[in-house]
Formats: sequence, C-alpha cells, structure tokens
Amino acid sequence: MDILGSFALLLALLAAVYAIVAGIAGIVTRKTLLTKSARNAGLAVFVLVTIAVGCLEYYFFTDNFSMAYVAAHSNRALPFYYKFAALWAGQEGSLLLWTWLLSTYAFFALLVNRNKHPELMPYVGVVLAGVQTFFLTLNNFVATPFAVLAGADQSGVMRLSALSDGHGLNPLLQYPEMVIHPPMLYLGYTGFTVPFAFALAALLGRYPGEKWIHITRRWTMIAWCFQSVGILLGAHWAYAVLGWGGYWAWDPVENASLLPWITGTAFLHSVMMQEKRGMMKVWNVWLVFTTFMLCILGTLLTRSGIVSSVHAFAQSSIGDWFVGFLILVVVVCFASYWKNRDYLHSDNQLDSLVSRESSFLFNNLILLAACFAVLWGTLFPVLSEWVVGNKISVGPPFFNKVNIPIALFLLLLTGVGPLLAWRKTSFDALKRNFAWPLLGGVVAGVIALIFGFRDIYSLICLILGVFVTLTILSEFYRGARVIAARDGSNLVSAVGELTMRNTRRYGGYVVHFGMVLIFIGIAGVPFNKDVQKEMAIGQTLNIGPYSILCQNFDRVANGNYDSERATLEVFRNGKSEMMLYPERRFFLSSQVTETMVAVQSSPLRDLYIVYAGRSPENGEPVIHAYLNPLVKWIWFGGIVVVLGTGLAMLPNRRTALVLRPVAEQAWGDRVPATVSPIGAIARRGDASD
Amino acid sequence: MIRRHTAKARCLRVRPRLLALATFLFAVQGSLLISYPLYAQQTDRGKELGRRVKCMCGGCEDSATGCNHTGGSFSGPCDTAKGMQKEINERVTRNESDDLTLQAFVQEYGPTVLIVPPAKGFNLAAWIMPVVAPLLALVLVWFVARRWRHKGMLATASGPEVPSEFLSRARREAGKEYDE
Repeated sequence: MDILGSFALLLALLAAVYAIVAGIAGIVTRKTLLTKSARNAGLAVFVLVTIAVGCLEYYFFTDNFSMAYVAAHSNRALPFYYKFAALWAGQEGSLLLWTWLLSTYAFFALLVNRNKHPELMPYVGVVLAGVQTFFLTLNNFVATPFAVLAGADQSGVMRLSALSDGHGLNPLLQYPEMVIHPPMLYLGYTGFTVPFAFALAALLGRYPGEKWIHITRRWTMIAWCFQSVGILLGAHWAYAVLGWGGYWAWDPVENASLLPWITGTAFLHSVMMQEKRGMMKVWNVWLVFTTFMLCILGTLLTRSGIVSSVHAFAQSSIGDWFVGFLILVVVVCFASYWKNRDYLHSDNQLDSLVSRESSFLFNNLILLAACFAVLWGTLFPVLSEWVVGNKISVGPPFFNKVNIPIALFLLLLTGVGPLLAWRKTSFDALKRNFAWPLLGGVVAGVIALIFGFRDIYSLICLILGVFVTLTILSEFYRGARVIAARDGSNLVSAVGELTMRNTRRYGGYVVHFGMVLIFIGIAGVPFNKDVQKEMAIGQTLNIGPYSILCQNFDRVANGNYDSERATLEVFRNGKSEMMLYPERRFFLSSQVTETMVAVQSSPLRDLYIVYAGRSPENGEPVIHAYLNPLVKWIWFGGIVVVLGTGLAMLPNRRTALVLRPVAEQAWGDRVPATVSPIGAIARRGDASD
Repeated sequence: MIRRHTAKARCLRVRPRLLALATFLFAVQGSLLISYPLYAQQTDRGKELGRRVKCMCGGCEDSATGCNHTGGSFSGPCDTAKGMQKEINERVTRNESDDLTLQAFVQEYGPTVLIVPPAKGFNLAAWIMPVVAPLLALVLVWFVARRWRHKGMLATASGPEVPSEFLSRARREAGKEYDE
C-alpha cells in the first residue's frame, strides 16, 4: 500500500505521455486504432490518479505519519473532515488535487465525446494529455506527495521513520469552507483546460464552423461557475476567519483567481457573437487561450513567491517549471494561430454601432480592461524592481481606484447590452426599452440621496443596480406577456415557460441579477464602522444602533484546540436581541492561536465581533466590533449567480406545432385573431439543446 | 547690593511664570504620553495616514492601521504596526503635513512603505497604464467596428438583389428571435 500511490502516479505519467505520442501518430497516420488507444490511455490517467489520491487520503485517515506530507499537515486529534481536506493543505497535495481534477475533466470530455467528432477528438486528447503530462511530471519528480520520512540510525544508515503524531493542519484552514473552497477554485482553474483543448484542437485540425464552441459551451459554464463559487467561498472564508472585517484585500493570490474568471466571463459573452453571426473568431480563440494561460500564471504567482502574498506558498523552484510551461503554451498557441489564421475569418460584418454586437465588443473591452488593470497592479512591484531596482507596494487603494470605475461601467453595460437588438437598434426601440429602467434608477438615486447616501461610487452603483434590475424585469415581463396572451396562461407561469424555452438567455439574466446583488453588497463598504475596546465583565461597547454588554469570559477545552470565549449580549434600543460568542482557539499540535469571529448577519448589516484576546498592556480582554452594511447581499448574490448558471446550462424546452382540427380546440374561442386557429402548442421536454 | 536684590527680586518674579510654563508643558506632554495608545487608533487623520503606509513587520501585507495579526496572545496590530501608528500620531500632534509624515516613513523604510506607488517617475506608469491601455483598446475597437461596418455596407451594395421571399423569411425569423 505504501508504494501504490507513487506507483500509480508514475504509471499515470507514462499513460499521459503515451496518449500524446499515440494521439499524434493516429492523427498523422489516420489509423483509428491508434487514436482509440490514445483515448483509452487518456481515460486510464484518471483511474491511476484517482488511485493515487485514494492512497493519500487513506494515509491521512489512518494517521500514517511515516509519510512526510501526512506528518506535516495532519494530527491524530484532527476531525475526519479536516483530514479529508488536508489533502490540499500543502503544495504537493494541492498539485495532486489539481492533476486529479484535470484528469476527471479529461476523462469525462473524452468519454462523453468518444463516438462523436472523430476529426476533432484526437487533437483534443493530445492537448489534454499534454497538460496532464506537465502536472504529472511535477507530481512525480518535483513535488511528490508520497515522500517518506527517514533518519540516520546510530551507524549512520538511513532508515524509514515515523512520527508519533503529526504537526497538524494549519489552523487557518480549519474552517468548514476550506473543505470546499480550494476544490471549487481548482475545478474552475482546471475546467478551463477543456475549452482550451477544444479551441486549440479546432484550430490545429481546422475543424469547420462553430462546432467547438457548441461542444464546449457547457464545459466553459461549469468551469466559470466553479470559479465563481471558489472565489466567493474564499472571500467568505477571509471574512469569517481572518477577523479583519473585510472579504477582499486585492492580495495577489486573490487577484490570480479573479483574472481567468474575468476573461472566462468575456469569453462566455463573445462566443454568442460567433454563434449568432460568425464573428470574432480570432478573438474567441485568443480569449480561451488567455484564460488558460492566466490559470497557469495564477498558479505560478501562488507557488513561486514572485509576488508577496499572505497566502502564497513558500518560494520554491517550482515557479521555474510553470514559467517554462507558460512559455511553451504561448509558443504553441501563437504558432497554431499563425499557421491557421486564415481559418478564422469572420462570416459577417457589423451592421450598426448601436447593436447587440457592439455591446458585446464593449463588454469584452471593459472586461479585458479590468483584467489588465488587476494584472498590471499585481505584477507592477516585480516590474518596478526589475526596471528601476525599487520594490514598491501596490495595495488595495490602487486596485479600488482603478477598478471601481471600470466595474461600474461594466454594470451599466449589463443593463444596456441585453436591450439592444442584434444587427441594429432603432432610436424608438432605445427609447421604449430604456425609459422606465432609467427613470427607476434616477428615482432610486434621489431617494438614496434624501436618506443621506453620500458616497458617489455607492450612489452610482445603486442607481445602476436598480436600472439593470428593471431592464432584466422588463425583459422577462415583455416576453412573458406575449406568451400569456398567446397561451391564455397567467404571467407567472408564462415567465416559467419563457425561461424554459430559452434557458441560456434567461439564465444569463438571472446571473446578471446575481451580479447586481453582489455589486450592491460591495457598495456598502464605504459605510463600514468599527470600534475596538478593552472590556471587563459588565462593561458596554456601543456601535451603530447596538449596545454590546460583556457578560463573561471563559475557557473551553477541545481535543484539537483550547478556546477562550467571550459571552456578549447585544442590545438594540435597550432591548436584548441576541447573544454572541466570539472566541480565540489555541491549536495544540501547531501551537498557534486563531480567532473565530461571531457574526450576526441581516440583509441590512452585519454585526461582526472579534475577540482579539487580552491586551498586551494590561491584560484586559479586547473586543473589536464592526458594523458592515449589506454584506449578506454578496453571498446571496453568489447563490443567485450559481442558480442562474445552472439554469443556463439546462436544455431548452422545445415547442412543436401540432395540427389539430379547429373543432377539437377547447380554448379555440380564446385564441387571438392574429394566431392561426390550427396552431396549438404542444410541449415536450427535450434533452437536447 | 541693591543690584543683587533687584536681580533676585526679578528672578523671584520670573520663576513662578517659568514654573507655570514648565508645569503646563509637562501636563501637556504628560497627557500626550498617556493618551498615545488611545489616540493612535482614534484620530481620524492618524487613521487615514496609517492606511497609506504598509505595516513593515514582513509578516503581513496590511496597512499600519489595518494590521490585524492573528496568532500569539493578541489579534490586532502587531508591535511594528503599533510603533508606526504611534509615530504617525506624534507627527499628527505636531501638526506635520501628510507629505512630510509619509516622506519620513519613505526615508526610514524605503518606497515600499507606501501602500500605493507615488505618481512620479517610473511609478507613474502604474497609474497611467490602466487608463491608457483601455483607451487604446477602445480606439482599436472603434476602428475595427467601423471597418467591419464599412465592409458590410460595401458587401450589401455590391451584392446580388435579395429575393423578396428570402427577405420575408428573414423578417419572420428575426421576429421569432424576440420570442426566443
């Protein structure tokens, strides 16, 4: 069992290399047997990496402290769910997780399409195997998770050894979200490999039309959805665990996760141009390439120590491997594009600047501007040191100054874009579509001003949020009204019918609404308040409408940690509202103390309490209270985004016209004169898109 | 003698004033010393300045005001951040300008202490590029869009006449799109 994991990883590497060689040979010689053999090798990689992951998990669950990785990241008293999550607590394990998730995607991409697209799939298999080969090389030779502990005995001979107990899991990671946040983020990062592989394969094989876009649409959405969830879970973890009252610090590692998400978002929008009008083919291919490259760059930033970050892994030579791989990817992508660039000519031209097409162009431009600004700010310290020899800091105020206007413009386009027609929009249509949403936004702004909303960015965000919400509602309303009039159904069921007839479009609107909620949540930041106070038992701290009475401080012992806990009673307008128990945990194995924040969350505001510990000056307990408005909207918005993405991935419910004699129609009398009396709509759930 | 007496008398007259001044200065200084830990975190200007400099402990990427180290016996500003806050507070009390205060930190720790790069020299590029690059891209998009549009118009003008049944079919399908 001890060598099974490393043996499986080595075999997986061999299988991946074979998949490349046999795949290329199959493409060149056009021998089906070879391409099938390459595909099967690709499938085998998943099985072998799964065995390796299973072995490592087994070592964690059986407290096998002869394994260096297990000894470094686990201990006997660690709860089982954290032992499971300890797999990705360090560099070696997280790279193995990456490989496993990548091989899972590759497995399903190859399996689902095993009898489809015979001209395309061999290329896809080779690209996927190429990426897997890189990560498996790291797993086997650079950062192996299966290293064993060894020490020299008295005679100087090296022998295997084992610790009686491990060093334990980093206390910062001992929080429920850390069990799911890294896999979600990695599912996003690795998921973008599939559209990348299909795009590169289509380019290399000069696969006709927009087929690769249709094939990869759901894969891209899945990856994008996971990336969104991963980013939001990370933000929530930072909010709930780090105890600084915020959720986004523009840390390089956070930025690294945001970059591919932004280009992925741009891609999800611009593919519609290619699908509908056969335009932006070069752009789309490069967007997918860039998204994949940013995933690799993000990993490079996280692991190389190039940039300073609180949660970047320690500096190691692994960064050189990622630089090499990134250069290889850039060269392959550029060479493929250059060789086959004539294949990417647009079928259509732009008919008007006031059209859905141009709104997509601007949407992409703004998203790319945001991506560039984040990347520029993240890498500028490195650039500055390289050019002028001075290391400078680029902190949150820079990113806020640069990105807030960009984000607000993007929010505006979220409302404007869907209301523009394909090809050309007339002035009358503009007036009709925008009048009410615009008026609603202005009214909301005036009301906010009356209620003392003075921060300019937050005010604009609120106005745009209302505007976009109204445009989305108007889209649903107008579509549903047509269906309700035709079917004689009520408006609510017509909305359901409308949504299910074009899940992609209306699911997209739901995602937009989720983004509006997130934006409104972020707009609450300028109104944050905080108070820190030394509080003996019986003392009170006042913040906003709340009065917090310190009732007690006690200690609670746990197998994994000891905690010091404050018991606080929260009053509002003199009336007791709730009890809060912020605590500090002292983890026995790692000898590290961490805070556990107490949050009372409501749609209007979060009361966020940190028990900071005892004052170093006089030993008094210190409570730090924050009042953070609208934070809950961000998490709720995230849920809406996920639901909307799920909806957009559902197949459309198709409608079929069934001829039926007029006499048999029970509702024939109610049919409007404009509708043909022989057309009755029968619905069928269709699994295909 | 008279002169000596006069001098002594003058000295006696002056001493109470000096004593009062010394007492006043001591009281002011004393109150400042006592109030440093409190005011370091509560003066708005001090807080704001603390947000513009980075905590230089090397263990975090926070500002001096926002430093919030977890671990140890206390979660909050570390000793380095507290020292920086205290220095800021002293300078605020002396009514030094913001620029002077920040400059003093730059001299002590180097330019990396500033949480955002100053907009001068090479660092100006940090601020300019996020504005210039999208503007250049906008110009590019504008030209591309115009070129596309121009090509489209030329293609329509020089193309064959579209049969009326094709046009009506296209309109029907365009109408359907709204329904979709």
